[in-house]
Amino acid sequence: MARYGIAVDVEKCTGCHSCFLACKDEHAGNDYPPISVAQPDIGHKWLRLREIEQGTGTKIKVDYIPIMCQHCEKPPCMAPGPEGAVYQRDDGIVIIDPQKAKGCKNIVNSCPYGAIFWNQEKELPQKCTLCAQMIDNGEKTTRCVESCPTGALIFGDLDDPKSEIAKLLVAKAEQVEAFKPKFGTKPTVKYIGLPKLFIAGEVLLSDKPKDCIKGAKVTLKADNQDKVMETNTDFFGDFEFKGLDRNIDYTLIAEYEGYYPQEITIRTYASKNVGELVLRAK
Amino acid sequence: MEYDKVVTTTAWSPGPGCHGGCGVKLYIKDGKVVKAEGDETHPFNQGRACPRLLALTQYMYHPDRITYPLKRVGKRGEGKFERISWEEALDTIEAKLGKIKEESGPESVLFCQGTGRDIGGPISFLAYSYGSPNWIQLGLAGHSCYTPRLGAMMATYGDYSVLDAAQFSEKRYDDPDYKVPQIIMVWAQNPMPGCPDGFFGHWIVDCMKRGSKLIVIDPRWTWFASRAEKFLQIRPGTDGALAMAMINVIISEELYDKDFVEQWTEGFEELKHRAAEYTPQKVAEITWIPEEDIIESARMYALAKPAAIQWGVPIDKCPEGSTVAQAITHLWCLTGNLDVPGGNVIARPAYGVTTYPFSTQEMHELYGEEFVKNLNEKRIGANEFPMVRNFRGWAQPDLAVKQMFTGDPYPIKACWIQTSNILGGQAADTRLHYEALKRMDFVVVADLFHNPTTMAVADIILPVASTAEKESFRSWWVPLQVIVPAVEVGECRSDWEINLELAKRFNPELRKRYDTVKQLIDDRLKPAGITYDQLKEQGGWVMPPENSASRPYRRYEKGLLRPDGKPGFRTTSGKVEFASKSYQDWGLDPLPYYSEPPESEVRTPELFKKYPLVMVTGRRSSVFFHSEHRMIPWLRECDPYPIVEINPSVAGKMGIEDGEWIVIENDRGSIKRKAQVTPIVHPKVISVPHGWWLPEEDGREPNLYGIWDINCNNLVHIGPGAKSGYGGGAYKTALVRIRKANEAVE
Repeated sequence: MARYGIAVDVEKCTGCHSCFLACKDEHAGNDYPPISVAQPDIGHKWLRLREIEQGTGTKIKVDYIPIMCQHCEKPPCMAPGPEGAVYQRDDGIVIIDPQKAKGCKNIVNSCPYGAIFWNQEKELPQKCTLCAQMIDNGEKTTRCVESCPTGALIFGDLDDPKSEIAKLLVAKAEQVEAFKPKFGTKPTVKYIGLPKLFIAGEVLLSDKPKDCIKGAKVTLKADNQDKVMETNTDFFGDFEFKGLDRNIDYTLIAEYEGYYPQEITIRTYASKNVGELVLRAK
Repeated sequence: MEYDKVVTTTAWSPGPGCHGGCGVKLYIKDGKVVKAEGDETHPFNQGRACPRLLALTQYMYHPDRITYPLKRVGKRGEGKFERISWEEALDTIEAKLGKIKEESGPESVLFCQGTGRDIGGPISFLAYSYGSPNWIQLGLAGHSCYTPRLGAMMATYGDYSVLDAAQFSEKRYDDPDYKVPQIIMVWAQNPMPGCPDGFFGHWIVDCMKRGSKLIVIDPRWTWFASRAEKFLQIRPGTDGALAMAMINVIISEELYDKDFVEQWTEGFEELKHRAAEYTPQKVAEITWIPEEDIIESARMYALAKPAAIQWGVPIDKCPEGSTVAQAITHLWCLTGNLDVPGGNVIARPAYGVTTYPFSTQEMHELYGEEFVKNLNEKRIGANEFPMVRNFRGWAQPDLAVKQMFTGDPYPIKACWIQTSNILGGQAADTRLHYEALKRMDFVVVADLFHNPTTMAVADIILPVASTAEKESFRSWWVPLQVIVPAVEVGECRSDWEINLELAKRFNPELRKRYDTVKQLIDDRLKPAGITYDQLKEQGGWVMPPENSASRPYRRYEKGLLRPDGKPGFRTTSGKVEFASKSYQDWGLDPLPYYSEPPESEVRTPELFKKYPLVMVTGRRSSVFFHSEHRMIPWLRECDPYPIVEINPSVAGKMGIEDGEWIVIENDRGSIKRKAQVTPIVHPKVISVPHGWWLPEEDGREPNLYGIWDINCNNLVHIGPGAKSGYGGGAYKTALVRIRKANEAVE
C-alpha cells in the first residue's frame, strides 16, 4: 500500500498563489462523495500561503510557506468527533467524513495547524483531502501540486524509494523537517528548507572604506555549543550565516590579514543584520 | 471532474487579463468552461498557469459580468442602464460618431485603450478606419509604458530586445544553441507577480534553477531580491544615473566587448565622454546605493558571459524615460550581449505578422505610409514632440486631457474606451480625467464589468468576450499562435468582432475585404504563409524557422535584420548607435543623461520637508492585473485590502500599527490605505499598490466604488515630464506624507 504525502521545497516557492487557486477550482462547487462536499467559494483556505519577512535594512529575506492539512500520522482531529467522523485511510490520507462529521464544530479547533475550516451553511468541518478523489481515480498528483509552476510542491508515495518525493527527501535529508514539530502530530507533509534565522553583515576596512572586501574570514560561535561556523565575504564584502537557532548567544569574529579582528556578540531573538564591521589596519 | 471536451488555445487578455502567450487547455461541459489549465505541450509556459487563469471560470461566469449591450437611461453617474440589442447599440454608435465626424472631424474622437494586450490591433484598426489619428492610452502620464523603452531600442539599433530564456526555440532550455545567462540583472521588475506584464515570470526562476545569478535593482525587497547576489535598493526614479555610472565603470575599466564595439557600433567615444560625468561616487549620492556596490555590480554584469537584463515599466516612468531606457540598452550593447544566446535577443513579431503595431514600419505596412503621415498631421502631440510623431502611432495622453478642456487646436467630442478603466486605473490625476470625460458629448465603453469609468461616463456599454470566447491571433513575439473560441457567454463579442463591424460601417471599402474576423486574421497571417484554420489544426502555434528574421541569434552577422539584406542593424549607419541619430533628428540629446524626478529631496527640498516620503505605486500582485479582478472572490481572498507598505522604522515613529487604516496625502489630495508594516520597503519610501477600486461598494456617484478614497492616482500629477513626450509619468516619485486616520489635519 502506498503512503501518500507532499513535500514542500520552500526555497522554490515564489508565493504566486496558484496552489490556492487550483484548490479552489477543484473543490469550490464540486462534491466528491464520499470524500468531500464542495468547499464554499470564499472563507476557506484549505491551502494557505504564509509570507515570512526577516531581517532589517540591507539584509532582508522574503519567503513563502504553503500550509495545508498535514495529514498527520497522529491526527489530533480524530479525537473530538464521533467514531469515523475523521478517519485515516490506509494510504495515510486523513479524511473528514462529510456525513458523520456534520455538526462537529470542535473538530475545527482540534487542529494545531489551523487547517480545518467550518462550513456554516452545511454545518461541516472541512479541509484538504490531498485530492483523494483524484488519487482514487488513478491520477498521479493533486491539483495544488499539479499547478505549482516552480516545482515547490511534490506529491508521491513516501514508501516507494523510487518515487520523486522519496528521492528528494533522501537527497535533502538534512533540510527536511515537519512544520511546527512541537505539535507532535507526525505530519506526512514534509518541509524542505523552512526559513531559519540568519545573521548577516558586511566587512569593511577603515583605510579603504569604498572597497568591497572579498574573502574576509568571518566566524560564528554559539556560546553554548562547540559548533563553529566559518565563511568568507563575497564579491560585495557581504557575509551571511543561515539556519541559526532562536534565542542563542553567538560570538561573531571578522578577520582580514593586516587588520585587527573585530568581535561582537549577538542574541538571536530574530534574524539580524549586524551592519558594517569596519576593521582597523594594524 | 467531468467534461465533454478539451479546447486548446492561447490566453490573451480578458480572463487572466495579461499580455498573454500561455498555451491553455479549457475543459468544457454542457457548453461551459468548467476548468482551465496550462497546456504542458506548449513551449511558452510548459503546462504552467497563473492564479488568474485558474480563476477563469469565476471570471467568465461572474454574476456581475456584463453580457449584453447597455445604454444609459439616467444621468451620467446614476448607474441607470437598460438592456439594448447589438443592432441598436451599433446603430447608435454609428449615428453619433458619424455626426461628430461630419461636424468636428474624425480627430475629435479619442480611441482609448488600457495596457497593451489583444487590443492594440483592433482599436488602432477601428480608429484608422474611422479616420482618427488619436489612438491613445488616455490617462497614462507621459505614455510611460513600454513605448519609451521600445523607442530607445529602436533609436539605438533599429529593433527591440528581450531577455533570452530560450523562448524562441520549441526545445527551450534543451536547445543546444542556448546558453543560460550567468547573470540576470532584474531591473525594476518583480518577475513573478509581474508576469502578466508581457513576459513569463517563471522563465527567470527556470534560469535560476539552471545557474543564473541575479542582481536586482528595486526600491523594494522581493522574493528575487532576497535571492540575489546583490540587491541594489535604489531611490525611485534615479535608474538613469545608475545606468550611466555602470556604463562609466564598464568603459573606464575596459570591461566592454571590444570586438563588438569596434565592429558593430558607433558613437562610443561620445558615450565614454558623457558617461565619465557620472562617477560612482556622485551616483551613489543620487541613488542611495553605496558606491562600491555600483562598481562591483557593473563589474559582475560586464564580466559574466552571457548576461541579460530583465527590465520593468518603472524605467519608462523615470523622468525622461526614453533616455533612461537608452542608457540601459547601451549596457547590453557595450557588453556584447545583444542577440547572443542568453543575452538580450532581438525580438520581432513571429514571421513579421502584426497583431499589435509596435513600430512605425508596422503602421505603414498595415495602413500605408501616406495615410499614416496624413493622420499624423492632426495626431495630438505630433507637433509638440517629434518622437511622438515619428515613432509608433500614439497620441500624447497629457496633451490630450488638456485639449479635452481647451479645445485647442480642435475640440475633443467623444471617447471610445475599450479595455480601459481610466478612472479606476491608469489615469494620473483622477479628478482631472473625471472632469475631462464628463465634458464629452458621447462615451462608449467596451468592457466585461462595470467599473468607475463605466459608471461615471459611459453612454453605451458593449459586452466583451473573454479569452475563452474569442477568435484571435498573437505574434508578440513568439510563437505565432491562435486564440480559439471554446464557448459563448451571453451576447458577448470579441474586440476584433466589435471593431471590424464598426470599422466596416465607417469605411465601407472594408466590406470588400473582410466578411469575417477570420478573413482579417488570415490576411494578417499572410507573411507566415498559413491560415487561421491551418494553424489551429496543427496545434495552435508555430515557431519561426531558424535563420529567419524573427528567430535569434546574431542576425546582424547574417544580414537578417536590414531590408537591404546586408549585415548590420536597421539604423541609417547600419550600426548600433550609442549616439542616436534618430534622437538627434527628433530634437533630443543623442546621448543618455540623468534627470532628477520632478519632486524629490534634491529638486524640491522645501516640498520634501513637508512631504518626506516617496510614494511608489504599481507594485504587482500575482492575483490582480492592474485594476482588474477585484471582484473575483478567489483572487481577492489572496490580496483583500488596498494596503500601503511602510517600513517599521517609519511606522514605529508615527505610532502606526500593522493593519491600521492611515491617510496618505500631498497638495493634490489624500487617500486612505491599510498599513502593512514591513521591512521590505525602504524607510524613505512607501509602496502603494495601484488600480484599487471596490466593486463591493456603491458604484454610483459620488462614491464610484470608492475611488476618491483609495485610488493612489489622486496624488499623482499628469505629465509628460519628458522632453520626448514619452516617459516621466510620476507614478513612482510623488512626494507624500502619512498620518493616522483618526488624527486631525494640521
